[in-house]
Amino acid sequence: MDSQDEEIEVRTPTLAVDFVGVSKEYLVSGKPVKALASISLNVKEGEVAAIVGPSGAGKTTILNIIAGLEKPSQGEARVLGLDLNESNEHSLSAFRSANIGFIFQSYNLVSTLTAEENVELMMELAGWSDSGRNEKLTAELIIMVGLADRAKHLPAQLSGGEQQRVAIARAMANDPSLILADEPTGNLDQRTGLEIVKLLSRLKVERGKTLVVTTHDDRIVEMADVIFRLENGSLESVDRPARVRS
Amino acid sequence: MEVWRALIGPLGFAAKSLRRRGFHAYLAFLGLTLTIATTTFLLLLGQDLATRLGIDSTMRSTFGISWLIFAYLVLALGLIGIVGLLSASYLVSSMISQRMRDIGVIKAAGALPRRLLSYVTFEAFVVIFSSCLVGALSALLIYASWSWPSISLFKQIGPIPNAGATVLIVVPLISFLLSYMIASIRVRRIVGSSSVNAISKQLFDLDLQSLGKPLRIKRLGSAFNLATRNVSRDRAFNKTLLCVGICIFLSMVVLSGALVSSDTSASYVARAMPPHVLIVANSNIYNQYVSLGTLFSRTAPVPSINYVNESYLITPQNASVFRAIPGVETVDTRLITMSSITGFVKAHFASNQDTGENINTQIIPEVDTGSAQALIVGIDPSNATGDWYTSDGFLQSNDAQYTMIAGDSLIGNIVQMPLNLSQISAFGFRYDVKSALVDPLNYGRVLYAPVLTLQRNLGVNGYNVLLLKVNNNPAVLSAVTRLANSYGLVVGSQDPILNSNLAFLNSTWSYIFLIPILGLTLTCGILLSYLATNFSRRFNDYVVLKVLGANVWYRLKLLLWESWGVLAISMLIAIPVAWAVSIFFLIPDPSVSVADLELSTIVSASALSGVSVASAAIYSRRLGLTTVKDLKP
Repeated sequence: MDSQDEEIEVRTPTLAVDFVGVSKEYLVSGKPVKALASISLNVKEGEVAAIVGPSGAGKTTILNIIAGLEKPSQGEARVLGLDLNESNEHSLSAFRSANIGFIFQSYNLVSTLTAEENVELMMELAGWSDSGRNEKLTAELIIMVGLADRAKHLPAQLSGGEQQRVAIARAMANDPSLILADEPTGNLDQRTGLEIVKLLSRLKVERGKTLVVTTHDDRIVEMADVIFRLENGSLESVDRPARVRS
Repeated sequence: MEVWRALIGPLGFAAKSLRRRGFHAYLAFLGLTLTIATTTFLLLLGQDLATRLGIDSTMRSTFGISWLIFAYLVLALGLIGIVGLLSASYLVSSMISQRMRDIGVIKAAGALPRRLLSYVTFEAFVVIFSSCLVGALSALLIYASWSWPSISLFKQIGPIPNAGATVLIVVPLISFLLSYMIASIRVRRIVGSSSVNAISKQLFDLDLQSLGKPLRIKRLGSAFNLATRNVSRDRAFNKTLLCVGICIFLSMVVLSGALVSSDTSASYVARAMPPHVLIVANSNIYNQYVSLGTLFSRTAPVPSINYVNESYLITPQNASVFRAIPGVETVDTRLITMSSITGFVKAHFASNQDTGENINTQIIPEVDTGSAQALIVGIDPSNATGDWYTSDGFLQSNDAQYTMIAGDSLIGNIVQMPLNLSQISAFGFRYDVKSALVDPLNYGRVLYAPVLTLQRNLGVNGYNVLLLKVNNNPAVLSAVTRLANSYGLVVGSQDPILNSNLAFLNSTWSYIFLIPILGLTLTCGILLSYLATNFSRRFNDYVVLKVLGANVWYRLKLLLWESWGVLAISMLIAIPVAWAVSIFFLIPDPSVSVADLELSTIVSASALSGVSVASAAIYSRRLGLTTVKDLKP
């Protein structure tokens, strides 16, 4: 069986993301470089969290740690109740494919698969083996992102906005509790970016997904329930807008 | 500032570009160098073996067997040369394809097409020239260390003087010219096309409907289904399949051809000297017959004796007594003698049509083709123990009395083709040559004639050698020995002579087997280059899968299906065709051992599969070390 056969038992936590004193260091040319310095943050289930800050502030590093693609050098990181420090690569892969959806700035669709095949692939990685059900869900997701007439096109035959919509459908394909988006509108023009923001908003409102988004886009920041500002790897501020507090 | 930064013009462009492309440039250089080095070394090794074999076969073996081995060597080296050139062209074509997008970007940025063409072509020239140079030097070094101190670089092989030196210059030169030509054409085509096409992703204009529905087998899982789509949608898939398929086919022809040729040459010898045959003769004739039989595998001189000395003869009555011994299946009564013979091409008419409808007929007078010492064997065709490989059949009881069958070492000099015009003069009589055969006796310098004719020519009544085909019962040997001793004759088995000749053949082939094995290595190298190129090109997709949650087994299975899939399709087509060619078209009257063909298939399939598994494992490991930061925009 080559689908991801390992199911990770995830208890229902109140916090989707819980970082306590998380630091991350890289070795660059043999010298340690600090990417994150003792960051503590949390994101509740169903919230949209925006991580903002200049380039090189450590935004993508936080996303990588949440996704289990990298481990913290120090501190405790729990995502959907899973202690990332205690997990090995195999269980993290299974965790990712079952519980996390990814949206990248550069879309990163598999180049040889059509739009609908990219979406369906995520279901296969999550271990969903009922191909009839997968096809039905894929069609629904493709319609949801407005690409019904482009479903059988390869990524190279789609525009940037269309590719990002496929990426959103793919991020939803495994019905994840948590969606991570790395500057999802970064490569798009104003109008296409707006369409993507609306789609992300629907994910929260209609499907109750938890979103963690790194962004420079004010429209995404405006829809966020919590905003983390990073500067040189440190958390400068945590802001919960008034509409959320009320 | 580093030196390379200061360079300008085509050289500066090439230096900077190659340095920037690092891994990919190194991969292209390495693949091309290995291909040229292996091909050149194999051809050097082949000419070396041919030289040694040529020198050796003037003293041993037979013309037919030497010709078979030599023809195999020429064929194998020719095919390996094609594999090498095909591989070099494929690698260069892939190398330029990888530069397509860069060339489009530079052109779009405003570079003049002519200048861009010269710069990119020069960059390809640097890679190709350095690969050819390093490849040729590496081949020479390996060859020198292999054959030191008897390097036969400056010896003649057939019509090629200084064969080794010629190979050393010609192979890298042709590789260079072909690779450079392909690179120039490809670059010219890319530079000539629109920048938009060059910059667009390779799959931009792929028509999925034309490819049909992708193969999906649920039981084999998601990784298999993903692999089939990845492979079938690869633009270079057909080209790759063709290139890998042809290389596998040619290397399989070389490998199975070696096995079939080896088996066939052994069968030619065994058919002439079958096992379970007892030699019965006077002790002097017996020793002489053993010496003549083993001349195929050793170079000791054979003393001259009077073969028809009265004391050596066995009367027909005595010979017939051996027939009565239970367990004796055949008594092959022979009268052998060494004699000077002269060959002739009979006078005949020759017609040739000149322009128009005029046909000129002229008489070609008889031609003397020379004289030589040959062993003449009088034989009773209906009781021959041998089952020789012949060109036009062996002697028959109803053949004319003055008919001879010529041993293969006499063909081409004393006996000329066509055989129906050839005659042999011996003992003052003229014999027509009916056919040629492969026979290790007296290293192929042998003539078979009806024993009654020979008895009449020599004025004797009897035989001097009896060959008894017996069953494997030791009691038969005792009975034959008792009877032979009672007539003052000795008995010995023909098996040691056969074994000595087969051992010589095996030892000769064991050297030659280096060629197909190294040829297979060359094909493995080509497969490795293809896989490395393919995996590198699609590495970003694999990283995406890893980031999305594909675990290590899924990734490994995907890489395995992708690499082994192309290989399996190529092997499925190439191996049966190679078998058919080796069995039906390579050698006349071949002896085919199914076990050998299975062995060659298992060896090739295992080696090639090993390469695909190893490269999948290496790339899977490399993939394990990547992070999301390695994703390219």
